[in-house]
Amino acid sequence: MTVLEAPAAPERPSAQDEGQLERATERRNRRTYLALLLPGLLGLLVSFVFPLAYMVRMSFNQGAPDGVIVETFTLDTYIQPLTDPYYWRVTLDTFQMGVTVGILCVIVSYPVALFLARSTSKWRGLLVAIAIAPLLTSAVVRTYGWMVILGTNGLINSSLGGLGLIDTPLKLTNNMTGVTIGLVEIFMPYAILAMISGFGRLSPQLEEAAGSLGASKFKVFTRVTLPLCLPGLLTAFLLVFVLSISTFITPRLLGGGSVQVLATEIYDQTTGLLNWPFAAALSVILLVLFGLIIAVYQRLTKKIGG
Amino acid sequence: MRATIKGKMAAVAALSAAVLVLSGCGGGSEAAGSGGSATSGEVNLIAYSGVWQDQYTAAVIEPFQAKYPDIKINYASKRSSAEMLSALQGQKNNPATDVAIMDNSVSTTGNKQGLFEKVDEESVPNLANVPEKFRDKEAYGPVAMLDAVGLVYDTATFPEAPDSWKVLWDPAYAGKINVNAPPSLLGLSLTAITSKMEGEDYTQGIDSAVTRLKEMAPGVQTFAPNPDEYQNVITGQTVLGLGQNARGQFYSDQSNKKMGVTFPKEGTVYQINTINLVKDAPHSEAAKTFVDYALSAEAQTAFAKALFYAPSVTNAELPADVKDRVVPTDGSLNIVPLDVEFLSSARDKWTDTWKRQIITN
Amino acid sequence: MTEPKLSIVDLTKRYAADLDPAVDRLNMEVEEGHLVALLGPSGCGKTTTLRMVAGLMDPTAGSIVVDGKEITHTPVNKRGMGMVFQSYALFPHMNVEQNVAFGLEMRQVTKAEQKARVAAALDMVQLGHLGKRQTKELSGGQQQRIALARALVVEPTLLLLDEPLSNLDAKLRETMRTEIRAIQQRTRATTLFVTHDQDEALDMADRIAVMNGGLIEQFGSPTEVYERPRTHFVANFIGQANFLAARVGAETGRANLAGESHYKVEVDGLGQFGAIGSTGLSGSSHELVIRPHRLNVSLHPGAAQAPLAGTIERVSYTGDALAVAVRIGDQQLHAQMLTSSGDLPRIGDAAYLSWAADDAYLLPAAAQPVRLAA
Repeated sequence: MTVLEAPAAPERPSAQDEGQLERATERRNRRTYLALLLPGLLGLLVSFVFPLAYMVRMSFNQGAPDGVIVETFTLDTYIQPLTDPYYWRVTLDTFQMGVTVGILCVIVSYPVALFLARSTSKWRGLLVAIAIAPLLTSAVVRTYGWMVILGTNGLINSSLGGLGLIDTPLKLTNNMTGVTIGLVEIFMPYAILAMISGFGRLSPQLEEAAGSLGASKFKVFTRVTLPLCLPGLLTAFLLVFVLSISTFITPRLLGGGSVQVLATEIYDQTTGLLNWPFAAALSVILLVLFGLIIAVYQRLTKKIGG
Repeated sequence: MRATIKGKMAAVAALSAAVLVLSGCGGGSEAAGSGGSATSGEVNLIAYSGVWQDQYTAAVIEPFQAKYPDIKINYASKRSSAEMLSALQGQKNNPATDVAIMDNSVSTTGNKQGLFEKVDEESVPNLANVPEKFRDKEAYGPVAMLDAVGLVYDTATFPEAPDSWKVLWDPAYAGKINVNAPPSLLGLSLTAITSKMEGEDYTQGIDSAVTRLKEMAPGVQTFAPNPDEYQNVITGQTVLGLGQNARGQFYSDQSNKKMGVTFPKEGTVYQINTINLVKDAPHSEAAKTFVDYALSAEAQTAFAKALFYAPSVTNAELPADVKDRVVPTDGSLNIVPLDVEFLSSARDKWTDTWKRQIITN
Repeated sequence: MTEPKLSIVDLTKRYAADLDPAVDRLNMEVEEGHLVALLGPSGCGKTTTLRMVAGLMDPTAGSIVVDGKEITHTPVNKRGMGMVFQSYALFPHMNVEQNVAFGLEMRQVTKAEQKARVAAALDMVQLGHLGKRQTKELSGGQQQRIALARALVVEPTLLLLDEPLSNLDAKLRETMRTEIRAIQQRTRATTLFVTHDQDEALDMADRIAVMNGGLIEQFGSPTEVYERPRTHFVANFIGQANFLAARVGAETGRANLAGESHYKVEVDGLGQFGAIGSTGLSGSSHELVIRPHRLNVSLHPGAAQAPLAGTIERVSYTGDALAVAVRIGDQQLHAQMLTSSGDLPRIGDAAYLSWAADDAYLLPAAAQPVRLAA
């Protein structure tokens, strides 16, 4: 009796070969992607990672008067602000300003963003462009605009005075009020853009469905529209918050020296007192603050199912 | 075919990386070489921005270039002396700047930090016309021009110039005052003046001054006037403020005398600018030529006429109407001495004191 | 006849003055408990009609009456209808129970009753076990059923379904068809159902409104619209049809109690045949409609009486059936054969066609397919 041997494995090698060919191609492609990514990564390294590392290193140096930087490794630059109630107040004020501006900005931008997100008009594109057109002018120019509007003899005070509503001009600038008003307006376009892109789950059919189930317009808004907008609102808030606490121009120009936030403090330390290590430490603290907020944000978005 | 594309891609990647690296560290390499001579080449000047730059360019730099057509002046403007110092510190190992005109409190720091070179009459003959009191004891950059802190006022509110700093505490003008807080020299000067008014020795402590300044603070409209302390008064946002005499005089003319500037009787603080040669400057020969010209009677008179800075040379003849408006340097003005050495140690402290105790939101 | 549940009177919608109306003076009455399909190609106005009934869109003219009450301008949330959207429109921020309870909550039903009714509704669609799920975790078919439960739990005056099956795959669609129909019959919910799928309409509906260009071309039972299409469009849209231009000759007798007659008709190139149609068609030209599966195809002459001889031009084998195209002169006729019949035809084979007179239906409208004058 003859025993038939099973055919040897290499008898049908084609499938295996093909697999290898595929893998080889894939590997080649991966190398191509890397080559394409390289310039961008290098750019990021040079323009972002390196300065950041430099800043962190700088924050461990010691700043002596008149801009002398003592190369060392000390935590004094951190201990000093963290043990000083003044910097706690500045940090708290910064945080508070970010929250206030974020909330107000979201409130005033929401109707605009909702209108734009829902619009089916052929003018929608143009309307969106108009809503974000202020970005075409620099924040400095717009801040100066607000100085003119909010000043003692500005548009608001002279109008109110002219109408006999006020005797002494309201102090709308050179304080936190002015900074808040300015920042809210300046960041509106960002908030609107963030919201429009964050309203993805909103659809007219959902609102119609709620209506058909007996919900009044108000109920449709509170039970369906608003909850579905939450991720967008949160993103907008976060964006405006981060922009607010990192911006220096508007608090500087509209704050009149009375508004002390981390960003202006960093500016003063760098350009006025030339204490770079201390400024670097404050920047790192600000960065940590950002990190915390973003962590909280991610928790929140997960919770509301963004 | 595939291989070629891949090769090209790698080449492009490598090239762009190289460009990035080059652009990343190419900053200061251009300084070396090119030295030039006393009458040719370039001079990289670092000095104030804004109206100062405009007037200095018109009154000094342009005539200089007419005289020395082969020397090109590159003007890098900074908003404050501190920013200039910061820039010079950054280039310490590889200087790109030749000449710096800055506040003497800051230039003294620069001298100590070895940023500047000494100046002698051999290379800068016009130094001979600078009197001893305006020269540096160790022969570093001499005084180039002088000014002093003044009180800026709205001429409609004050037909007569206020004669005392005390007007800043007058409740009638509460909310209509601008005070540049330290580290601005204006705020530092006001601190010293107030301290002196309170009969205190500010080199020992400024407690009384702080108490007084706290009383003033609620009436201050802004501690960082924008666009500047003069425009705030001209536009009516405020009616009183700190300012410098020179710019004040200039803007007074510009605004058709809507604004005036005066030296109150309790005294004031000089603001002195020195002209400094940067150590290891890339174009030191041409730079000396420029410094010499800047100290010439011609340049000094022209700049005094343009921006009302007092000359630092003895041979500059000013017309009477200009002479009346520049800060007197003959001892006739009541001066609160603010020693540069002292200031350098007090600047941070006083700035902190203002932020924590005086400025309230 | 009892009062209709829903009457639509001269309902018109114009989106713009310079456009043809999307819905043009539409009239329809729906009986209590019926499922009515609005069937037509896209753009025929069926969805617009549904949205006007739902209150999601204002009519330009006309009126909508439900239970004898005019609701033309009643806001959507006061109409008490239940609607299922093409995309299901389940609220993504609520779980299944919350979705189903939404309508009850809006009606301020007590919590306890809400709970009971939601459970009952979920049981009805056999998804009682998924109450706590998030909607995005559900399959298309499950979402569909939840949407249905959400619409039905409020005991709507009318159930409105907007292409509810179009997002499902073919297999599931058939299951859901049966299920929706069963639930509808169980709840006796008067239902308006928008679809572009004739099979769906024929399978599920008590009445079908075939719409075209904003008009109802025919409103009738599935057998009526299939067997007795009033227009070329209806005959063509529902099922397949052979159309032959016929000159109608003499009436040869009364065909049935419905008042239809038999006729002698003549078709160019084919000869004379018997046909059926409404009375009074003699002497004019009409289109003859013959459904492909009503044509008898034989590969051998003599199997039928006086067959038409032709050649097979195209064969299409789909397993259950065999579709053939037979060329006779300048006419091409489509027919269906059973695949079990021994020898399969090949292209070029001779074929012999015949049909019963009752299966050749004369369209009542004029011979040229024209749009009905409104």
